[in-house]
Amino acid sequence: MYLTLFLTYIFVLVALALGGLLLFIFQRNRKQVLKTEDGWWGPGAPPDAQEDVSIHPFQIKTSAEELQDLYRRIDQTRPVLSLEDSQFNYGFNSQYLQEVVSYWRNDFDWKRQVEKLNQYQHFKTNIEGIDIHFLHVKPKRVPKETEVVPIIMVHGWPGSFYEFYGLIPLLCDPSERDNLVFEVICPSIPGYGFSEAPHKKGFDSVCAARIFHKLMKRLGFQQFYAHGGDWGWLVTTNMAQLEPKIVKGLHVNFAPPSKPGLSMVLSLLLGNRFPKLFGFNGVDIQRLYPCMEKQVVEPIKETGYMHIQATKPDTVGRALNDSPVGLAAYILEKFSTWTCNDFRNLEDGGLTRKFSLDDLLTNVMIYWTSGCITSSMRFYKENFAKGLYQPHSKMPVYVPTGFACFPKELMHTPKLWVKQKYHQLKSYTTMARGGHFAAMEEPQLMAEDIRTFTKMIEEK
Amino acid sequence: MSLDKLLRLSTANFSASLALLSLTSAVAIGGILAYWVFRSKEAKTIPIGHGWWGKGKKPLSEDDQIHTFTITTSDEEIKDLHARLDLTRYTDPLEDSHFNFGFNSTYLKRVVSHWRNVYDWKKQVAALNQYPHFKTKIEGLDVHFIRVCPPSRENQKVVPLMLVHGWPGSFYEFYKIIPLLTQNHDGVAFEVICPSIPGYGYSEAPQKKGFDSVAAARIFLTLMERLGFSQFYLHGGDWGSAITTNMAQMKPDCVKGLHLTMFFPRRNFKMSLSLVIGRYLPFLVGFTREDVRRIYPYFQKNVWQMLEETGYMHIQATKPDTAGCAVNNSPVGLAAYILEKFSSWTDMKYRDLSDGGLERMFTLDDLLTNVMIYWTTSSMTSSMRFYKENFGNLINRLDFKTGVFVPTGLAAFPNELMHNPKVWAQTKYRNIYSYTFMPRGGHFPAFEEPQLLADDIVQFVKKVGKI
Repeated sequence: MYLTLFLTYIFVLVALALGGLLLFIFQRNRKQVLKTEDGWWGPGAPPDAQEDVSIHPFQIKTSAEELQDLYRRIDQTRPVLSLEDSQFNYGFNSQYLQEVVSYWRNDFDWKRQVEKLNQYQHFKTNIEGIDIHFLHVKPKRVPKETEVVPIIMVHGWPGSFYEFYGLIPLLCDPSERDNLVFEVICPSIPGYGFSEAPHKKGFDSVCAARIFHKLMKRLGFQQFYAHGGDWGWLVTTNMAQLEPKIVKGLHVNFAPPSKPGLSMVLSLLLGNRFPKLFGFNGVDIQRLYPCMEKQVVEPIKETGYMHIQATKPDTVGRALNDSPVGLAAYILEKFSTWTCNDFRNLEDGGLTRKFSLDDLLTNVMIYWTSGCITSSMRFYKENFAKGLYQPHSKMPVYVPTGFACFPKELMHTPKLWVKQKYHQLKSYTTMARGGHFAAMEEPQLMAEDIRTFTKMIEEK
Repeated sequence: MSLDKLLRLSTANFSASLALLSLTSAVAIGGILAYWVFRSKEAKTIPIGHGWWGKGKKPLSEDDQIHTFTITTSDEEIKDLHARLDLTRYTDPLEDSHFNFGFNSTYLKRVVSHWRNVYDWKKQVAALNQYPHFKTKIEGLDVHFIRVCPPSRENQKVVPLMLVHGWPGSFYEFYKIIPLLTQNHDGVAFEVICPSIPGYGYSEAPQKKGFDSVAAARIFLTLMERLGFSQFYLHGGDWGSAITTNMAQMKPDCVKGLHLTMFFPRRNFKMSLSLVIGRYLPFLVGFTREDVRRIYPYFQKNVWQMLEETGYMHIQATKPDTAGCAVNNSPVGLAAYILEKFSSWTDMKYRDLSDGGLERMFTLDDLLTNVMIYWTTSSMTSSMRFYKENFGNLINRLDFKTGVFVPTGLAAFPNELMHNPKVWAQTKYRNIYSYTFMPRGGHFPAFEEPQLLADDIVQFVKKVGKI
């Protein structure tokens, strides 16, 4: 009798253990999908009428009044001299700013730039109560046996859809290396550029991702690729988390870890002594260490803007929307420092080493003419206000992912860390050159990597 | 055991014990001596140093005269201001956001309308000039100050007192408290000197890097010396607190008493420990009931709230030239930037009000006059640089490790940004004569509660001077 009891005991224990193990395995394999609900971002309450799903062509326009107003404001700028020998270490150098402004006032041709912007087809469509602006560029020529691959490319701050203008022709035109051409959709994040700003609180990256899914659906795409950097990285990542079956491949050039896990901390502590253990190569060691300087001091030096935008966007945006020169200094400081932080020691911030003043000012003009600086900054508060432990930051990404690692990017993410979040990392490319605005700075390198990655996924 | 063997043993033991005792005593005495020597070696002052902040090279001689100065304005200045106010491009606030996203645009329109149509800058300038202004060159910079002497009365002891403002304030913050201080308080009246920190308002901005609170302190000590004062009292809040503290550390013999509204302790392990214990056993760590009420919940009040409110500090301490550019060209932007602080720092709960509670404790005229001082002097950028100069070199700051030994009076206002109980303040201010829990008031007490502040300064000075 005791034997029977004993055997029963054992049996129950084993059953429980097996059950637990099965549950554990089952949990791990069950791919989590990000959940979201519809939103309404227009003014007041949502109307009872059916949603207007029409897509309208849109053209960027300018006028003599717009230019005159700009010039008047530029002319009434009151410059304040920068400290002797401070270069770009206190922010945008005042003396060099005067040179940029002089070019802006006398040589920059906004009318010509607007024509350049309009070379691609622009559209607007109303989703969840706000007008979403986007570019839709179809390949002009599709050779035989060439696949047309749809891709959505999402910009960040303080960038815009314009960052991709150098990259678009390299993707939409056929290449000798592969038989792919891309059909490119470039939306503006709501609150940026020509996309209407949300009128209600709570518009974060998941909302933007959901709206962009609706956009792609409205345009008739069942499956597509996604590319993003800066905020675009987060929005496209959320898109992959929301609909993993629809996002065929995700390509990003920025992937800061959303939550510091144990492996990340361990790798930081021991990585320079046991690099092989964590898969660190020479580049990783050089960019991660010394820890204090690169992981603490540098970020503190460069995240003042993030801190104030994530807490008081309406205050900081106020003056920027009245002073074009102030806006230019604020935005272009990033194009200097985030391209290479050594540029802080240059009198001219190295601004024109990788970009032309025309391109830089066109991006600034998009913020200026649309008056969107304040709403663009609110995105920081909406994303950070809920804290760092959002459902999407805890959830991995199961969509095939390609990561382009540029040497001067703000934060270096070694392969080990990228894999923590992106469970299907198919390619990790260490790029030869480039910083945070890689698409604008090194379009050739970026296009190559996107093509290689896409080809890899298509061939499977 | 034989008796002599026993004796030998006990003697040996006794010697051993004696030896042990002597050794221990020697070590103890040695230790105490070493500690005492080491302690007394702890710095009680900071070096005075030297500097020169003007453009280019320092000339061979400097004009040390004191010149009278009058604030002036012109029709052009006002026209330019109005033109810019009219050019403002507003952005609608998010529905239901009040002051949680920063200065509410809807309310801002009201402020600007008053500024454009009702506010009389010429009248305000006349009000500013009611006290005598001066300028004098020190270390290459024109330093601005006002000097207000009490009317001569019998049986009155005149006590010199310097008041130092902070950011985003100015000497104007003290205009309400000055008439209270120059009154006769049972035989004591103050002669008040209010300088502008170099880079703020009418004081010239430094052209060279490195101008921190220690440099400002040295300049103000020179100013007092130039005015003929060998001993005086000091009062400060915000940056004024850091500067006057440095002054007391540099020349403690000159500073008869130091009165502060905002003060920071020297963080150490004891402080962190008291934070943990103090919530449950406050008496054990020297917290009063009022301390407990003001500090806890600690994380909420001191960590999250500080993170929410220090974005401006972060960007100013790293990129002042960028942050200052737009606000120096948009008066509305400047007003929003400055007045947001007069809202939140007076009471954090004002962030949930559509008008930020701005007009509850201040008049729009007073608030805008302070803004106009920054606007008409184009000094916002240089005022921001003070943050970078002070925070850029945190590790090497000797003054942070040095205590303050002059008689100190601390006024703890309930809505100040951070509450520091007396036990914490004592880690830095070793000679606290008075610590007052004020009943009301926030970060700008001289502006908001001048009577309360004046009373506290008077009682402190009387205590120190045994008057």
